[in-house]
Formats: sequence, structure tokens, C-alpha cells
Amino acid sequence: MTESEVAGARERHEELDKGALLDAYRTMRTIRDFEERLHTEFATGEIPGFVHLYAGEEAIAAGFMAHLDGDDYVASTHRGHGHSIAKGCDVKGMMFEIYGKDAGICRGKGGSMHIADLDKGMLGANGIVGGGPPLVCGVGLSAKVRGTDQVAVSFTGDGGANQGTVFESMNLASAWDLPVIFVIENNGYAEATAQAFSSKGIDIAKRADGFSMPGVVVDGHDFFAVHEAAGEAIRRARQGGGPSLIECKVNRYYGHFEGDAQTYRGENEVENVRKEKDCLMLFRQRVTSAGLLDEAELDKIDEEVKNLIDEAVREAKEAPEPSPENLTTDVYVSY
Amino acid sequence: MPEAGNETVTVGVIANPASGRDIRRLISGASVFDNGEKGNMIYRFMVGLGAVGVGRVLMMPAASGLYDSLERTLRAAHRSSVEEERPMPELELVEMTVRHTVRDTIDALAEMGRRGVAAVVVLGGDGTSRVVARHCSAETPLCTLSTGTNNAFPEMREATVAGIATGLVATGRIGEEALRREKILRVDVNGEENKDCALVDVAVNSERFVGARALWRPRNISEIVVSSALPDAVGLSSIAGLLEPTGRDAPHGLHVRLVPPERAPTVLTVPLAPGLVVPVGVEEVSRVEPEETVALAPGVGSVALDGEREIEVGPSDRVEVRLDPAGPLTIDVGEAMRQAARHGLLNGALA
Repeated sequence: MTESEVAGARERHEELDKGALLDAYRTMRTIRDFEERLHTEFATGEIPGFVHLYAGEEAIAAGFMAHLDGDDYVASTHRGHGHSIAKGCDVKGMMFEIYGKDAGICRGKGGSMHIADLDKGMLGANGIVGGGPPLVCGVGLSAKVRGTDQVAVSFTGDGGANQGTVFESMNLASAWDLPVIFVIENNGYAEATAQAFSSKGIDIAKRADGFSMPGVVVDGHDFFAVHEAAGEAIRRARQGGGPSLIECKVNRYYGHFEGDAQTYRGENEVENVRKEKDCLMLFRQRVTSAGLLDEAELDKIDEEVKNLIDEAVREAKEAPEPSPENLTTDVYVSY
Repeated sequence: MPEAGNETVTVGVIANPASGRDIRRLISGASVFDNGEKGNMIYRFMVGLGAVGVGRVLMMPAASGLYDSLERTLRAAHRSSVEEERPMPELELVEMTVRHTVRDTIDALAEMGRRGVAAVVVLGGDGTSRVVARHCSAETPLCTLSTGTNNAFPEMREATVAGIATGLVATGRIGEEALRREKILRVDVNGEENKDCALVDVAVNSERFVGARALWRPRNISEIVVSSALPDAVGLSSIAGLLEPTGRDAPHGLHVRLVPPERAPTVLTVPLAPGLVVPVGVEEVSRVEPEETVALAPGVGSVALDGEREIEVGPSDRVEVRLDPAGPLTIDVGEAMRQAARHGLLNGALA
């Protein structure tokens, strides 16, 4: 592990001991700082391509990945930075990638929406809405055939939840009892379309009934709620209990993409969530009032993460771009 | 109580569209009704109300599949010639901002209070019933219907019959004989009185975080206080119910202290949740008299109300539970229908 991989991100934490709590906080803080910084840096015009920020949704990535081993699989969305960091992708390598630099984890040719690291079980961010669920059926089937206890987790938004790929994947995973967990990150908007405009019924989790799998709703701002539900779904999948659907109700702090004017959102909508439900704030309040961690330990993580992100951005700006000779490398996979 | 007559009788409807998707779906075979079924339940309830002369239903808006399903059924019913003969109450939605939080229920109840509804039907689980019990006028009769398999307080009832019973009470044709004054457990935290409440059980457990809310790991429960306890119930109260059956009409409640089965003088086999039968170690059981306050043993963990973790507590927090005999007023559907039979209230064709 390099120093810019988030410590603990690849360690399995089924019980929330002190080390697990510190790792969870570090994961969430790293994602938050990474995203907040990209929000600022993107506005300068220095970053190529599109960027979709995960700020506000950190508890979901941290809560799920805490139960995963390095060889478990994750398929992400276009909003993939948080999943990648929590799954253990190199933070600097990700920043280089987003800046389109040769040292990026995909050699600077993928950018934000294609961050992938198969060595870490990160099958990739994905520009295709609803693209993750079919991929986890593939790796889930592979794990089942090989007889391992690996699991695969796909993340999809409330918009993606209406895609045919998601329904087909849920059906297949259920029919074949695949060790797969379908996570719906319901942040209320498919790009700019509020959920009520595009579907009847507010709980996507209820669709699980149609595929004979459990469907659960959790508060996606609450690390502890996510961690508990994720733990049960993942344990169930590892033991051969088949797939589950977990819907996390959450809010995103920024627009669909950077530059989105967000005219579709309510006045003070985000401010109110930040004040009342912010996952980092709630986590800090609860672990300190329960006497499990003290403020100084968390402040230290804040400082370390800030330095890591500063360094990552500084180095990414200075790093060399891919050379033209590399244009046609890594285009096709050879087995 | 309004009399059946020229004045239109209104009944309130609170249906929680979000109830029933908690972690119990993963750890046991507990099942719940979806929003489509909840909408159908309201329709059937309205048919029952209409049959006995209730003219209006005032419903909390639910921007979800629940209202859609109700509206579709109502539209379809109006087109059918058979249905045209059937008196249906007017459906009116409470004008309010919908937040998709517990505030919706509180706001809707306030408006129903202002409008003087003659009764309120509650569709949901224990959590929804608890919120209604705290925020509804103590003199408004409630009909609480369960929308899932793992509830301690609301009953599993066919909504059509519950609608008839509620309508008979709302129109004044049946009175106190079919109403039941429930007990309620008032929870005080650090001297703050009535911070929250439970209708059936309060359970201290060592889960530090409210987390996914449902209390489903029996080894972590150290103490329970129940307002009633039936041996044929499912859930935490069944522990007390197997020790000393205590009906809803009994004046007292029970306080049970638990220990791990290997250290317990008594070990019970308990259906703790649908699909979950476990050994539970009992150290001591005692009665809780009306107005008596039980101080819960301090410790780190959380307090669950009617089976859901609600309050996180540290070693210095003081939690006290008081058995209040003046809880919500509920409609005893079985008794109401017996009265209807005895007095011939449903004799004759529909008006």
C-alpha cells in the first residue's frame, strides 16, 4: 500500500472497534476533501472532461467498503470518486488521472468517469447510466463458479434504477443466487429530474420484491445505519443467500456535474442538509459523545487528509501528460 | 362526538408510505405490504366508512405509489355501475408541505385536529402509531392497522371491517363500550420529561448506535419494560408475555431484566421477530404499577422503543420509564362489531 491509499480501505471491518471507526472517518474525510477540492479546481478550467462529485454521500461508500476485502468487486457510476477511494484506489493516482496525467491510475486516458483499478477490485466508474449491475453479475457468477466467498457490489443512482439493465441484472442475480448487492444511491435527482417526475412510489427498495430478494431502505447520511445493513447483505451473499437491494436515501451537495446551475433544487436545500444531516458531522458527534474517539484523533486525520489532497493536487498540476506515442497503448485487453 | 345526521362526519387517514423497509427484510422473513396494497387498504377502509354514513375522509398526502394506487382504484370504482350504488366518502388531502419525514404526520394530525375529525385511522407500524399517539388529541379515537408482520401495537385487520367499526364510532352509533384507553410508556431522558414514548415496549440494549434501527440481536438486550405482554405476540413483549401474560386492559405493566442464557436462572424460547426464535435468559421479572417510574440501569448503548433503537445513551445518561394509564384512545374493532350485531346496527340495506 502506498501512503496515498487510504489506510484501512482494504481491510474488512465487520465490528466497529476503534480502528474501524478511525478508518471509516478517514475514508469519508478523504472523499469529502477530494471532492471539495475538485469543486474549486474545476472552476479554474484546468481539469479536462466532466466531473461528477460525490460530496454528501460519503457514508454510503465508507459503510459498504468497510465490509469488503481487496478481492471483492465494486462497479461504480459516473459519480465514482467516493467508491474508488473507499475501495482503496490510490488517491494521488486518481487525482493525476482526473488531471489527465501520465501517472494517473489509467495513464491519464480515462479521466474522472473511467477510473478503474482491477487490482483493487474496482471495476470502474462508468459513463453508462445503469452500467454497473450487469458487470457485478459477471464477476458474481465468476466467484460462484470458482467457489470463492467473494462478493460484488454495484452502485446505481435513482435515475439509473429505472434502466432496463438494472432490472435484467436483478432478475439474473436472483435466478442464479449470485453473491451480489445492488446499492441504489437515491439522491433524489436523475441529473435534473426529481424522482417523483420519473417514477411512482418513493421506495426503490420495494422493487426487490418483484425479484424475490430482500429490499431495505437506510439513511445514506448515517454511516452506522449503512454499515449495519451493508454488513448483513454482504454476509448473506457470502453465505450463498443470494442478492439484496439496498436503497440509501441521501443528498448530493453539488450539481449533477460541475457547472450545473441547479435551478431545479429548492432554496437552501443543500444548506439545510449540511447543517442537519452531514455524515461527517453526525459521525463526529456520535463517536465523541459515546466516548469512543476523541476530537484530537479526528482533528489529526483532518490535518493528514488535507495535506494529502494538497500534495495530490500540486503534484498532479505539475505532472507530465501522456506522450503521443502512448495513444494506442492499453486500448485492447490481452488475456 | 358528532351525531350521524345532516352534518358531514369526517375521518382522518394517516398512512406512512415509508414504513416497512428496515433491516428485518435481511435478517428474517418478515414481510410488509407495499404502497400499492396500502392504497388499496385505504380504499377498502373508505368503503367501510361510506357504508355507515361517513361523508368525508381527510388524508395526509403521500406523494408516492400509495396515493396513486388509491386514486386509480377510486377512479375505476366510479366508472363501474355496481360501484355507483355504493356511498363513498369524499376524499380530501390535507393541504400541507410534504417533507417525507415524520413531520408530515405531525402536521397532518394538527390540521385534522383543527378540522375536528371524528376518528383517525393509522396505517403503518409501531413507529407510526407511536408518533400519532404522541401528537394526536387524547380524545380522538384511533384505529391502528398494521401494514406488516412484525408490529406489536397496530392490529392485522381487514380494512373494510375496520372501516365499518370506525364509521360506527365516528357517527356516534357506538360509544365508549368499543373504545379502549391504552397504556403508554413515557420515556424521560436526563430529567427531560416525556422525551419520547413507547406503546408496548422499551428495551435497553448494548448497541451503541441507532444504526439500522430495528433491534434484532437478542444477546444485546439487558432490560425491557412493557405496557402489555401477550404470550402469542411476536417481538420483545413476548418475553414478558411468556412470563406473565398481561393484557392491554390490565392496569399494570412488567419490568424484565435479562442476562445471557448461560448465566440465567430461567431460559425462555422466544419468537423475538418474525422468522427468529431464540433462547433468552431472564434474571428477574416484576410488575410496574400505573404511574410508577422505572429507572433503567445506566450504561453505554441505546434504548429501543417498540422494537426500534431511538435514543443513544452514554454511561452518565439517566433514562426513566413511566407507565401512564392515560395513553391514546383506540377503537376495539372486534367489540365494535359485536355491538353492531347485538344492536342490529347493520340490519337493513345500505342507505
